[in-house]
Amino acid sequence: MRSLLPWAWSFVLAALLLGPALAPGYLLSYDMVWVPDLALRPDFLGVGSALPRAVPSDAVVAVLDEVIPGMVLQKVVLLGSLVSAGAGSAALVRGSMLTRMAVSTFVVWNPFVVERLLLGHWPVLLGYAVLPWLILVARRGRESGPGPALCLLVPLGSLSAGAGLVTALVVLGFGWSGRLRQDMRLFALLLAGNAPWIFSGLLHVGEATSDARAATLFALHGEGHLPAPLAALGMGGIWNAEVVPATRAGVLGVVMTVLIVVVAAAGFSRWLREETRRDRWVQVVLWCIGWGWAVFTWAASDATGWLVSHVPAGGLLRDGSRLLALCLPLFIVLLAHGAHVLRARVRDEAAALITAVGLVLVPIALMPDAAWGVSGDLAAVDFPDGYDAARVAMDGHRDGTGADGDVVVLPFSAYRAPTWNHGRKVLDPLPRFLDRDYVSNDELVVDDVLIRGEDPRVPEVRDALGLPTAQERARALAELGIGFVVFDSSGPHDGLADGPDDRPGIAGDVIVDEGPVRVVALAGVSGRSTPLAWSWVAGLGWALFVGLVVVGSMGRVVRGRTRQV
Amino acid sequence: MNGIIGGIAALIVGGGLASATVFGVVSSQTGTSGDSPANVNQPVIPYGSTD
Repeated sequence: MRSLLPWAWSFVLAALLLGPALAPGYLLSYDMVWVPDLALRPDFLGVGSALPRAVPSDAVVAVLDEVIPGMVLQKVVLLGSLVSAGAGSAALVRGSMLTRMAVSTFVVWNPFVVERLLLGHWPVLLGYAVLPWLILVARRGRESGPGPALCLLVPLGSLSAGAGLVTALVVLGFGWSGRLRQDMRLFALLLAGNAPWIFSGLLHVGEATSDARAATLFALHGEGHLPAPLAALGMGGIWNAEVVPATRAGVLGVVMTVLIVVVAAAGFSRWLREETRRDRWVQVVLWCIGWGWAVFTWAASDATGWLVSHVPAGGLLRDGSRLLALCLPLFIVLLAHGAHVLRARVRDEAAALITAVGLVLVPIALMPDAAWGVSGDLAAVDFPDGYDAARVAMDGHRDGTGADGDVVVLPFSAYRAPTWNHGRKVLDPLPRFLDRDYVSNDELVVDDVLIRGEDPRVPEVRDALGLPTAQERARALAELGIGFVVFDSSGPHDGLADGPDDRPGIAGDVIVDEGPVRVVALAGVSGRSTPLAWSWVAGLGWALFVGLVVVGSMGRVVRGRTRQV
Repeated sequence: MNGIIGGIAALIVGGGLASATVFGVVSSQTGTSGDSPANVNQPVIPYGSTD
């Protein structure tokens, strides 16, 4: 029963943090877009024209939500990630129950989790949640070889390229045995778990460089009174000030960072005594990579700018604080040892107990505005009726040539702040709600600076939209393989209206006009096909990924039966 | 004696936690928020801001 306490405590923390996000509806925040039934489409498999930023996460969700409704799946993933992070960190350390619960609180209730949650980076959070469990099974696998648990955890921790990179480094650090055959198996396992985005990335290597200006904007940033390197010590320092809790900008942010440093310092000697030399080295090296890279992006943004603009896939590293997840292994063990030592130093039993309870609760007290969906910033909403109507109408529509065509949503900009989402920013959710491939504007605006996108179809579509008449626009879009233009009036106005009703000037059949949505179907749509070689390469990546999950699942079943016998 | 020390510790820890929480809640509600509601009439919704 006692072993369930860290799970129960982590559940309380997760529920308190998510709050209204767990109500019926969909949580839509910045990059987090979940819909009732995400349709699997070629782009999600990594063969579209855009960089595979949501590979394999979108495809995995599209498959899973055939079994579990998208709304429930989103809550399971978010709640499960936070509970798993807290319980996993408690399982990773030895000590009293209160010490382990204190570690759970620090791991769940910190700026990294809150800021990434608000920014909608759920695959990063899922990868973060899997890390403690990865350490446990990778360490065990050092003796016996990688087991089925690792075959399941690696894909789970690699649902985006950034998360996959962190997962791979942690598994290599803790699982590398020095025995060639075993290490090759480990390496092959990591390659298979990350194959979808790696293979798709290779197909896009020509476009896989980013705008250098992004490096400065997405670098590690200070928070309130904390300069960037100190903010990173407390797992903060995200680039986007809009998602930083207000308390982080005040004196409490400083107090929290000081507290973390003091507790970690208190545990240093015990850490040296209790942890193996090998584990200490791995923890320190991973921490140095995570914190060091974050600080490097802040201190040398010109160098990171060169990297992301010249080296294919260098853009993976442009978000400075994302790699702070690598600090987690050392963060967990130092805080555990520190909590143990601080409690032991208090001779009086009652006072020691109060100290321990205080350490369990203090992260919440120092960042109270993270509670209840980050003070209400995370809340579930429903989609407008017009979205359903658009999906149904487009399902049954074929133009005269029999071609379906892709979708373009106007206004042609990446983000929305619709009133039905209470004005909260979100990546345009409409394309994901529909069941076709789409061209989405991947240019970003940060601090009034336009960051160039990478999708080569975006400038072509923009050029077509810039033509003088509705007929010319429609013809040019159809030639680009666009079959439907959807105008969503809950998005920002783009000035493309021909008439007084603020509707897009695109010639075609209006097949839906409901709520904020108007769908125009175009005629004479050119077909767009994926090169056969691309399909084979991406297919190989997916075969490796799915194969790994199947091997892991079968291994678990076989082991379970063997134990029963 | 133990009871007195425990009481003092409880007072300090509990008082500290309570003060920090109250201070945090008040400052988060009264401070300038970086997350101002976006204006839907803007031509482009910015992804974020570093300030």
